[in-house]
Amino acid sequence: MTLQRKYADEEVDACIVGAGAAGGVLAKELSEAGMKVVVLEAGPMLDPQQDFASDELAMRKLGWQDTRIVDGTDPLTMGHNNSGRSVGGGTVHFTGVFLRFHADDFHTYSTDGIGEDWPLSYDELAPYYDKIEKEVAVSGPKHFPWGEYHGPYPYPEREPLSPNAYLFRQGCEKLGIRSSVPPLAILSAPFEGRPPCINRGFCNQGCMPNAKFSTLLVHLPKAINSGAELLSDCMVTQVLMHPNGKASGVAFTHNKVSYVQKARMVILSAYAVETPRLLLNSATVQFPDGLANSSGWVGRAIMPHSSYDVMAKFDKEIRIYKGTPVLATTQEFYASNPAERGFARGYSLHAHGARPLETVKGIIGDERGLVWGKQLREAMLEYNFYGRITMVGEVLPNPDNRVTLAEDTDEYGLPRAKVTFSYGENDRKMIQEAIGNMSAILEAEGGKVAFVHPDTAHLMGGCRMGTNPDRSVVDAYGQTHDIPNLFVCDASVFVTSSGSNPTHTVMALAARTAEHIVNKVKRREL
Amino acid sequence: MKEEIRMTSQSRYPFYNVMNEQEAWDAHTRNIVRSRLEPSSQLRYLEMEELQLLRSVCRVLLDETRSEMLAFVVSHIDQVLASPVGEAQRKAAVLPQGKLIRDGLQRMRLSTLLYDFAAMDQTELAALEQLLSQLSEGCAESAEVWTGFDQKAFFKSLLSMAADGYYSHPDIWSEIGYGGPAYPRGYVRASLGQIDPWEANSPMNHP
Repeated sequence: MTLQRKYADEEVDACIVGAGAAGGVLAKELSEAGMKVVVLEAGPMLDPQQDFASDELAMRKLGWQDTRIVDGTDPLTMGHNNSGRSVGGGTVHFTGVFLRFHADDFHTYSTDGIGEDWPLSYDELAPYYDKIEKEVAVSGPKHFPWGEYHGPYPYPEREPLSPNAYLFRQGCEKLGIRSSVPPLAILSAPFEGRPPCINRGFCNQGCMPNAKFSTLLVHLPKAINSGAELLSDCMVTQVLMHPNGKASGVAFTHNKVSYVQKARMVILSAYAVETPRLLLNSATVQFPDGLANSSGWVGRAIMPHSSYDVMAKFDKEIRIYKGTPVLATTQEFYASNPAERGFARGYSLHAHGARPLETVKGIIGDERGLVWGKQLREAMLEYNFYGRITMVGEVLPNPDNRVTLAEDTDEYGLPRAKVTFSYGENDRKMIQEAIGNMSAILEAEGGKVAFVHPDTAHLMGGCRMGTNPDRSVVDAYGQTHDIPNLFVCDASVFVTSSGSNPTHTVMALAARTAEHIVNKVKRREL
Repeated sequence: MKEEIRMTSQSRYPFYNVMNEQEAWDAHTRNIVRSRLEPSSQLRYLEMEELQLLRSVCRVLLDETRSEMLAFVVSHIDQVLASPVGEAQRKAAVLPQGKLIRDGLQRMRLSTLLYDFAAMDQTELAALEQLLSQLSEGCAESAEVWTGFDQKAFFKSLLSMAADGYYSHPDIWSEIGYGGPAYPRGYVRASLGQIDPWEANSPMNHP
């Protein structure tokens, strides 16, 4: 089938690669400002009512399942674990946790002498956090105890919670640990034609009632209404360069046919693996090490969150399948205090529900050794008797943790991404403390720790922002230091990872980048 | 698993059948789950010989003897191996999944020529369990068979595919008391100890 295109022979104002958390916000903002925008998404356009299902196995397809080569002492689990591949990207299957970073997350070097400071501060990003919270009608508590922002949120906090969340909060209370319902991009009351959550629990399989925000539901339809063209099933294979050193557009493939989209500006929002991979795969004679890579930092310092799960067995039923996966959290262990704790930075702890496949993965992968056979069968027969907590721990940036090109090629003939990751000593110390605290909370309620699952979540870094072009890829607005009309706008620009889920920050940064671009274009500076 | 934790060896919900609730599910989900109860489709990747060995392997990995359940799990593995969809991640130096499984099963056969695993009597099962245990630790012996092969990667790949299939089967959902699909109705009763009327229940779980 021929691809229907609006701007086949036309140079558009902006071509956005990737229709995820960042791409959705950019598309909306730029098209509402009157710019001609094309968004290219590698994955399909899905209809929540027809294409989503209450089923873990069937909905793995929401992840980027194309094979990545993984390496290092702690090779990452990719696919559904940390990336999306459909219109809406990761927002289609994320858990909806919508935390702001804390002020000192933006200057870990000044605070702790580790990592690097961001080229922008919390205060500079705060208005964009506000804007995004309103756009998705974040539900949150009357007073969120940690960080700089304590509320109010546009919508009241979710109620009721889930059994696992109540268990978590009771355990915290016994130990004198403050806990809270988290801010969530999940509705607690109707908003813009979307209904409140029914506590179905399948956030990671795609929300069928449309209660959970995604850019598929919120931002991209608005972008299309303002004239943006969204092309799904279109895999961008190369950023094209003009001899004058500027980007001229992109090459992409749809149904095995290659196309070109010419653009005055190219914005990569393809996430922490595909963005660096595309820059590296777009190398030219003029840019032999890949585009925007004069610093050598493209692909470097990628960071997941350490995301160990602890499961404890109780004498009573908990039923971790019930309700939104994360309905209770604590950031009591977030603030950095290296002198007392022996490591820098910190983490969030989330009560974290799970359906059978997520649960069995955690049991099989217990840190003491693989669980299988009779032991596995008996452990799963106790499914309803576990409580479960997951950490979101800050992983420090290390330039050796990186995305490079593998020798293997994919269906487009392009070298696959090779993703190398190893925890550092600080990361490991933090994980040990977090396991202790997660265990204590569950034990306070009478649970016995049964399984500890080494896991990671999210990906950040790989095209970090900075003021020094020798040590960073983009500036504070995502503009690459090397190519003025090539931007990066996604989690790959993160300088450090924080102990908070990243989606809110990705979107706030995208709103800030979009405003910057619109202003520059109006002044004819771009 | 820590030793002091006692686990049950049988279902805590002997009278619960999650499929009784299927009329309350959306049609797309219902079709997906129902299809898992139908007889397994034709093999697309595995050879018959591989299938028989794999069935015995799954029997041990999952501690499951029901033949229709094992047939479902093996069919799931066959579908994964035949699928053009990627593996999400593959460790550097590990074979692509299809080759890894084919090669590993072949080596298993070579290292256990004395046994007929299709027969599945106690001697064979014990030998198979021992071999799998060695593979899980990466220490299966007989150098001429196993040298240069990533035993652990093979074992983990098999175990993870087998568990994905098995714990996606509605009969297993019923056994573990999982509420299953929950759209469009969702959950109303959310406090500890509360259940909606259609969820798995058993008096023996409320001492």
